[in-house]
Amino acid sequence: MMEIDMSPDPVIEVYKKDVDDTLLRENLKLTPEQRVRNLMALQEFIEEVQRAGRQARRQARAAAEHPAESVA
Amino acid sequence: MTNFPAMLRALQDAGVEFIVIGGLAATAHGSARSTLDLDVVYSRSSENLERLVAALQPYHPYLRGAPPGLPFRWDAATLKRGLNFTLITDLGALDVLGEVAGGGSYEALSAFCVTLELFGTRCLCVELEKLIELKRAAGRPKDFEAIAELERLREIQEETL
Repeated sequence: MMEIDMSPDPVIEVYKKDVDDTLLRENLKLTPEQRVRNLMALQEFIEEVQRAGRQARRQARAAAEHPAESVA
Repeated sequence: MTNFPAMLRALQDAGVEFIVIGGLAATAHGSARSTLDLDVVYSRSSENLERLVAALQPYHPYLRGAPPGLPFRWDAATLKRGLNFTLITDLGALDVLGEVAGGGSYEALSAFCVTLELFGTRCLCVELEKLIELKRAAGRPKDFEAIAELERLREIQEETL
Protein backbone atom coordinates (compact mmCIF):
# COMPACT_ATOMS: atom_id res chain seq x y z
CA MET A 1 0.00 0.00 0.00
CA MET A 2 1.25 3.52 -0.76
CA GLU A 3 2.76 5.59 2.06
CA ILE A 4 0.75 8.70 2.84
CA ASP A 5 2.38 11.73 4.39
CA MET A 6 0.11 12.66 7.30
CA SER A 7 2.19 15.55 8.60
CA PRO A 8 0.39 18.93 8.69
CA ASP A 9 -0.09 20.22 5.16
CA PRO A 10 0.34 24.00 4.90
CA VAL A 11 -2.35 24.23 2.21
CA ILE A 12 -4.87 22.34 4.36
CA GLU A 13 -3.94 24.48 7.36
CA VAL A 14 -4.96 27.58 5.38
CA TYR A 15 -8.32 25.96 4.47
CA LYS A 16 -8.91 25.09 8.14
CA LYS A 17 -9.26 28.78 8.99
CA ASP A 18 -12.54 28.85 7.03
CA VAL A 19 -14.08 25.77 8.63
CA ASP A 20 -17.17 26.65 10.68
CA ASP A 21 -16.49 24.85 13.96
CA THR A 22 -19.95 25.69 15.31
CA LEU A 23 -21.57 23.46 12.67
CA LEU A 24 -19.21 20.62 13.52
CA ARG A 25 -19.83 20.95 17.26
CA GLU A 26 -23.59 20.86 16.65
CA ASN A 27 -23.23 17.79 14.44
CA LEU A 28 -21.15 16.02 17.06
CA LYS A 29 -24.11 16.23 19.45
CA LEU A 30 -26.11 14.02 17.05
CA THR A 31 -25.98 10.31 16.38
CA PRO A 32 -24.57 9.18 13.00
CA GLU A 33 -28.10 8.30 11.88
CA GLN A 34 -29.38 11.78 12.78
CA ARG A 35 -26.50 13.29 10.78
CA VAL A 36 -27.42 11.21 7.71
CA ARG A 37 -31.09 12.13 8.12
CA ASN A 38 -30.12 15.82 8.16
CA LEU A 39 -28.11 15.30 4.99
CA MET A 40 -31.13 13.72 3.29
CA ALA A 41 -33.37 16.57 4.44
CA LEU A 42 -30.88 19.01 2.92
CA GLN A 43 -30.87 17.05 -0.36
CA GLU A 44 -34.65 17.16 -0.41
CA PHE A 45 -34.64 20.92 0.19
CA ILE A 46 -32.07 21.49 -2.58
CA GLU A 47 -34.18 19.45 -5.02
CA GLU A 48 -37.23 21.55 -4.13
CA VAL A 49 -35.29 24.79 -4.70
CA GLN A 50 -34.01 23.48 -8.04
CA ARG A 51 -37.57 22.52 -9.05
CA ALA A 52 -38.84 26.00 -8.13
CA GLY A 53 -35.98 27.56 -10.11
CA ARG A 54 -36.84 25.51 -13.20
CA GLN A 55 -40.51 26.49 -12.89
CA ALA A 56 -39.63 30.19 -12.54
CA ARG A 57 -37.39 30.05 -15.63
CA ARG A 58 -40.15 28.33 -17.63
CA GLN A 59 -42.67 30.99 -16.59
CA ALA A 60 -40.25 33.80 -17.42
CA ARG A 61 -39.61 32.27 -20.86
CA ALA A 62 -43.34 31.88 -21.50
CA ALA A 63 -43.99 35.47 -20.42
CA ALA A 64 -41.27 36.72 -22.77
CA GLU A 65 -42.64 34.70 -25.70
CA HIS A 66 -46.31 35.58 -25.10
CA PRO A 67 -46.42 38.91 -23.23
CA ALA A 68 -50.14 39.51 -23.81
CA GLU A 69 -51.16 36.16 -22.25
CA SER A 70 -49.03 36.68 -19.18
CA VAL A 71 -50.71 40.05 -18.51
CA ALA A 72 -54.16 38.49 -18.85
CA MET B 1 -32.56 12.30 -3.77
CA THR B 2 -30.26 9.42 -2.89
CA ASN B 3 -32.09 6.90 -0.76
CA PHE B 4 -29.23 6.03 1.58
CA PRO B 5 -31.30 3.86 3.96
CA ALA B 6 -32.66 1.70 1.13
CA MET B 7 -29.20 1.34 -0.43
CA LEU B 8 -27.63 0.27 2.83
CA ARG B 9 -30.46 -2.16 3.53
CA ALA B 10 -30.23 -3.68 0.05
CA LEU B 11 -26.51 -4.33 0.48
CA GLN B 12 -26.92 -5.55 4.04
CA ASP B 13 -29.87 -7.83 3.32
CA ALA B 14 -27.94 -9.53 0.51
CA GLY B 15 -24.99 -10.10 2.84
CA VAL B 16 -22.61 -7.94 0.80
CA GLU B 17 -19.25 -7.30 2.45
CA PHE B 18 -18.72 -3.57 2.05
CA ILE B 19 -17.27 -0.53 3.80
CA VAL B 20 -18.79 2.94 3.61
CA ILE B 21 -16.24 5.59 2.64
CA GLY B 22 -16.43 9.05 1.04
CA GLY B 23 -18.98 11.74 1.75
CA LEU B 24 -21.46 9.59 3.66
CA ALA B 25 -18.68 8.36 5.95
CA ALA B 26 -17.71 12.00 6.48
CA THR B 27 -21.33 12.84 7.33
CA ALA B 28 -21.50 9.95 9.78
CA HIS B 29 -18.38 11.30 11.49
CA GLY B 30 -19.91 14.78 11.80
CA SER B 31 -19.06 16.60 8.57
CA ALA B 32 -21.40 19.46 7.67
CA ARG B 33 -20.72 19.10 3.94
CA SER B 34 -23.22 17.64 1.51
CA THR B 35 -22.85 14.59 -0.70
CA LEU B 36 -25.05 13.10 -3.37
CA ASP B 37 -23.78 9.55 -3.66
CA LEU B 38 -22.88 6.51 -1.61
CA ASP B 39 -19.30 5.26 -1.96
CA VAL B 40 -18.47 1.76 -0.82
CA VAL B 41 -15.42 -0.49 -1.03
CA TYR B 42 -16.51 -4.09 -1.64
CA SER B 43 -14.79 -7.43 -1.20
CA ARG B 44 -13.66 -8.97 -4.49
CA SER B 45 -14.29 -12.57 -3.41
CA SER B 46 -16.34 -14.54 -5.94
CA GLU B 47 -19.15 -15.04 -3.41
CA ASN B 48 -19.30 -11.35 -2.65
CA LEU B 49 -19.43 -10.39 -6.33
CA GLU B 50 -22.52 -12.60 -6.65
CA ARG B 51 -24.06 -11.02 -3.56
CA LEU B 52 -23.37 -7.51 -4.84
CA VAL B 53 -24.96 -8.34 -8.18
CA ALA B 54 -28.06 -9.78 -6.48
CA ALA B 55 -28.34 -6.81 -4.10
CA LEU B 56 -28.43 -4.17 -6.82
CA GLN B 57 -30.13 -6.07 -9.65
CA PRO B 58 -33.67 -4.97 -8.62
CA TYR B 59 -32.57 -1.32 -8.80
CA HIS B 60 -31.34 -1.42 -12.41
CA PRO B 61 -27.72 -0.30 -11.99
CA TYR B 62 -26.26 1.48 -15.02
CA LEU B 63 -23.01 3.31 -15.65
CA ARG B 64 -23.51 6.88 -14.49
CA GLY B 65 -23.06 9.39 -17.28
CA ALA B 66 -22.98 6.73 -20.00
CA PRO B 67 -25.22 7.29 -23.00
CA PRO B 68 -28.54 5.42 -22.80
CA GLY B 69 -28.47 2.14 -24.69
CA LEU B 70 -24.80 1.43 -24.11
CA PRO B 71 -24.49 -2.34 -23.60
CA PHE B 72 -23.91 -2.93 -19.91
CA ARG B 73 -24.57 -6.20 -18.11
CA TRP B 74 -24.72 -6.05 -14.35
CA ASP B 75 -23.32 -9.46 -13.51
CA ALA B 76 -20.39 -11.06 -11.71
CA ALA B 77 -18.40 -11.39 -14.92
CA THR B 78 -18.60 -7.64 -15.49
CA LEU B 79 -17.54 -6.98 -11.91
CA LYS B 80 -14.66 -9.42 -12.26
CA ARG B 81 -13.41 -7.73 -15.44
CA GLY B 82 -13.62 -4.27 -13.89
CA LEU B 83 -12.77 -2.85 -10.49
CA ASN B 84 -14.43 0.48 -9.71
CA PHE B 85 -17.90 1.30 -11.01
CA THR B 86 -19.75 4.60 -10.79
CA LEU B 87 -23.41 3.66 -11.02
CA ILE B 88 -26.81 5.25 -11.14
CA THR B 89 -29.59 3.11 -9.71
CA ASP B 90 -33.28 3.51 -8.94
CA LEU B 91 -32.16 4.42 -5.41
CA GLY B 92 -29.65 7.06 -6.50
CA ALA B 93 -25.95 7.32 -7.26
CA LEU B 94 -23.67 4.60 -5.96
CA ASP B 95 -19.94 4.08 -6.43
CA VAL B 96 -18.75 0.53 -5.83
CA LEU B 97 -14.98 0.40 -5.53
CA GLY B 98 -12.80 -2.70 -5.56
CA GLU B 99 -9.84 -0.66 -4.39
CA VAL B 100 -9.28 2.85 -3.19
CA ALA B 101 -6.13 4.99 -3.21
CA GLY B 102 -4.55 5.03 0.23
CA GLY B 103 -6.73 2.20 1.50
CA GLY B 104 -6.34 -0.65 -0.91
CA SER B 105 -8.83 -3.49 -0.94
CA TYR B 106 -11.81 -4.27 1.31
CA GLU B 107 -9.62 -6.68 3.27
CA ALA B 108 -6.89 -4.07 3.84
CA LEU B 109 -9.36 -1.35 4.76
CA SER B 110 -11.41 -3.53 7.11
CA ALA B 111 -8.75 -3.08 9.81
CA PHE B 112 -9.61 0.63 9.94
CA CYS B 113 -13.35 0.57 10.42
CA VAL B 114 -16.03 1.31 12.97
CA THR B 115 -19.44 -0.34 13.02
CA LEU B 116 -22.31 2.07 12.51
CA GLU B 117 -25.92 1.41 13.38
CA LEU B 118 -27.82 3.17 10.62
CA PHE B 119 -31.50 2.78 9.72
CA GLY B 120 -31.77 -0.60 11.38
CA THR B 121 -28.62 -1.97 9.80
CA ARG B 122 -25.12 -2.45 11.12
CA CYS B 123 -22.54 -1.51 8.55
CA LEU B 124 -18.81 -0.96 8.47
CA CYS B 125 -17.65 2.61 7.99
CA VAL B 126 -14.07 3.73 7.59
CA GLU B 127 -12.79 5.44 10.73
CA LEU B 128 -12.13 9.18 10.70
CA GLU B 129 -8.33 8.99 10.68
CA LYS B 130 -8.33 6.58 7.73
CA LEU B 131 -10.91 8.68 5.90
CA ILE B 132 -8.53 11.65 6.13
CA GLU B 133 -5.74 9.43 4.75
CA LEU B 134 -7.94 8.34 1.84
CA LYS B 135 -8.80 11.92 0.98
CA ARG B 136 -5.15 12.92 1.19
CA ALA B 137 -4.10 9.98 -0.96
CA ALA B 138 -6.64 10.93 -3.62
CA GLY B 139 -4.73 14.21 -3.95
CA ARG B 140 -7.59 16.10 -5.54
CA PRO B 141 -7.70 19.88 -5.09
CA LYS B 142 -11.50 19.64 -4.75
CA ASP B 143 -10.94 17.68 -1.52
CA PHE B 144 -8.88 20.38 0.23
CA GLU B 145 -11.90 21.88 2.00
CA ALA B 146 -13.21 18.45 2.96
CA ILE B 147 -9.82 17.40 4.38
CA ALA B 148 -9.57 20.63 6.37
CA GLU B 149 -13.02 20.02 7.84
CA LEU B 150 -12.26 16.38 8.70
CA GLU B 151 -9.02 17.37 10.39
CA ARG B 152 -10.89 20.03 12.41
CA LEU B 153 -13.40 17.33 13.41
CA ARG B 154 -10.55 15.17 14.63
CA GLU B 155 -9.05 18.09 16.57
CA ILE B 156 -12.39 18.99 18.19
CA GLN B 157 -12.90 15.37 19.19
CA GLU B 158 -9.39 15.26 20.69
CA GLU B 159 -10.11 18.48 22.63
CA THR B 160 -13.19 16.93 24.22
CA LEU B 161 -11.46 13.69 25.26
